[in-house]
Amino acid sequence: MGRATVFTGTMSEFPVNGPGDSPAALELTGLVKRFGTKVAVDNLQLRVRPGCLFGLVGPNGAGKTTTLSMATGLLRPDAGRAAILGHDVWQHPARAKALIGVLPDGMRLFDRLSGAELLRYVGLLRRVPERDIATRSTELLAALGLSDDANTLVVEYSAGMTKKIGLACALIHAPRLVILDEPFEAVDPVSGEHIRTILRGYVASGGTVVLSSHVMELVESLCDELAVVAQGRVLAAGTLDQVRAGSSLQQRFLDLVGYTAAGEGALAWLRSSSSSS
Amino acid sequence: MVAILVKLKLTLLRNALRRSVWRIIGLILGLLYALAIVVFVVAGLVALRWTSVELTADVTVLAFTALTAGWLALSLLVFGIDETLDPSRFALLPVRAREIMPGLLVSGLVGSTGIATVLVSLGLLASWSRGLGPVLATVAAIPIGVATCFLLSRAGTAAFASALNSRRFRDFAFVGIALIGMSIGIVANLAGNLAGGQLGNARAILAQTAGVAGWTPFGWIWAVPADAARGQWLLAGVRLLLACLLVVGLWLAWGHYLDRRLTEPLESARGGGRVRAGGLVDRLYPASPAGGVAARTLHYWRRDPRYVAGIAGFLIGPVILMVTQVVNPEGLPLLIAFAPALLCWLIGASVAQDLSYDGTALWLHASSGLRGAEDRIGRLWSTCTVFLPILVVLTVLGLGLSGAWQLWLPVVAVSIPLILVSLGVGTFVGTLWQWPAPPPGANPFQKGSSGGFPALASFSVTGLVSLILSTPTIGLVIASFWTGWLAWLGLVIGLAIGAITVWQGVVRGGARLDRRWPEVLAAISER
Repeated sequence: MGRATVFTGTMSEFPVNGPGDSPAALELTGLVKRFGTKVAVDNLQLRVRPGCLFGLVGPNGAGKTTTLSMATGLLRPDAGRAAILGHDVWQHPARAKALIGVLPDGMRLFDRLSGAELLRYVGLLRRVPERDIATRSTELLAALGLSDDANTLVVEYSAGMTKKIGLACALIHAPRLVILDEPFEAVDPVSGEHIRTILRGYVASGGTVVLSSHVMELVESLCDELAVVAQGRVLAAGTLDQVRAGSSLQQRFLDLVGYTAAGEGALAWLRSSSSSS
Repeated sequence: MVAILVKLKLTLLRNALRRSVWRIIGLILGLLYALAIVVFVVAGLVALRWTSVELTADVTVLAFTALTAGWLALSLLVFGIDETLDPSRFALLPVRAREIMPGLLVSGLVGSTGIATVLVSLGLLASWSRGLGPVLATVAAIPIGVATCFLLSRAGTAAFASALNSRRFRDFAFVGIALIGMSIGIVANLAGNLAGGQLGNARAILAQTAGVAGWTPFGWIWAVPADAARGQWLLAGVRLLLACLLVVGLWLAWGHYLDRRLTEPLESARGGGRVRAGGLVDRLYPASPAGGVAARTLHYWRRDPRYVAGIAGFLIGPVILMVTQVVNPEGLPLLIAFAPALLCWLIGASVAQDLSYDGTALWLHASSGLRGAEDRIGRLWSTCTVFLPILVVLTVLGLGLSGAWQLWLPVVAVSIPLILVSLGVGTFVGTLWQWPAPPPGANPFQKGSSGGFPALASFSVTGLVSLILSTPTIGLVIASFWTGWLAWLGLVIGLAIGAITVWQGVVRGGARLDRRWPEVLAAISER
């Protein structure tokens, strides 16, 4: 097992995979992505051990979505490599993709299908035997509280329901690793608890979860390990306690990304409006 | 507000151009094309100044009526409308429709079509520079006429789009669009035939047609200067009143639809989105990845207005050809029988645009490890499922209407190879160019702000290559009118070429997709 340690940026401090180690569930090495002159992901290193519930946290625009897109074969990196359980995503895409389930953020689903049809479609694309598709999709829809809407078109789903059906799509082929971009966004507390239960059970049985979020409380209560990302780089990574380093995660996160409170005079005009009401 | 919106439109255009060289090339080509037409038309309008009042009246009324009708027909059928300034984006701002409408109108005219229309209308001033009265009438007519053009396209597409979005009216609207397109084509074709038939009567027919055109809503305003030049001021006043009422009516209708988009900007759920589980479509294809793609795309052919409107678009050409020939006493049975082959030739373009229609939802194909070839095969299956029955019906209908049943062999010998070749070429070309298409449920008449060049390239390359690959068959079938058995040879050769094309299209197109999924996704999601 690769042991994650807190590190602060340079490659030499990053734990190196020993010869006897089993391959990491997800290993990103030197990933770079530029959009024009903007460097979205800047020589990013990340290693997630199998059987771990891993959180990727960072402020808006930190490069979380770009990183996860490159890890799942949706965006070609300018440099670096991504490997899933030892299979290179860009050299052997078919083998790597077969092992992962993906829930991207900000991309549409085939929303003119009903929830059940969409799950069947994903199952067929993933080469799941037809009989398994039927049983698994019934169970997934029940576990996520979508049974009543199985035959409703996904376009009519609310934002939270769409997240949930997307999660079901990521799980239907029983992948070894699931990569979820903002899985709890727009999801109500009850559904959120359904999702947590599913993810915890999945990890307990040996699966690996990588999820991104910018809600610290959620990551703190759910994840075993995490990485703080900002400006396309990993600022800190390790177990919850290692990253927190005695402080609260929220405070540690703010320290790492360099938060400074706005001065007293900022947005004064906004406050003065209270007198008019 | 007008200045702000025009500035916004120009900024958006400039930023869009900055992002891609192809858009600059597309814009320049579009401008050159428009400029050539404008110069040609304005020269004609100036030349009319030295002809009789009657000829000037007939020609200008007819031409500008066609222009006005064209704004509506072309935005419904071909181009869509330019929604660089999408009204739903204003939904969160404290504005009402009537505040932004003048700005949207002016900024909507900032574009090659709008500017060309304005310039061409200004050319009317030259034609009618025959005294103060006609000039004044023209000065009044130009802004009203240009506004009519613009408002017709906006109000027309908004009305049809809202009809298409509601499930109940979708099929009706689809028939409606097809009917509009067909009737315009048929009328134009018939008028041409009649005029061509008796050259001596051409002048009389022109006068008659112009007379009718001047009393259609499209022509009211353009007939006003002509009435003024003839000294019929009462008539001019009546038509001016009608034209003004039309503009007001269109303005109100457009405002109504805009208000709705400002308050319901989201593609709202209209209920009734439940479907029957385990329907026929899911059992039609094998339970494999390719079968899944086929079933999913077939669902989309039925549930996505863009595809429904697409079927109408593909059917219009062949049906216009058939109907005009049937109606025309001198129609050619040969054309009636072969018209359905036109559809065979076009269906490749439908396969070629399929990837773009999927939009960002295509990430599922890219991330699931689906083989490119399976994606290609699935789309071929569903396209065949949709179009083959239509083609069989049309072909039998064509042969029956032409009365020339003996033509069945040449028709079949052309059609089947043409289907195969066109599908095969479209399958490969679809992997070459993709563009961001409006998402399903969005206004299907909304032009993607950038779809232009890749869409045009995809369409024309598919058509051209299909035609080139079909020339041996077409040549042999033509020769078979003298030596009958050559049709059989053409069929066999065509089947061989077609089969190879489909096979290569699937293999090469699939391999290209396997290599380029991320690039395809980037091309589709670019906005």
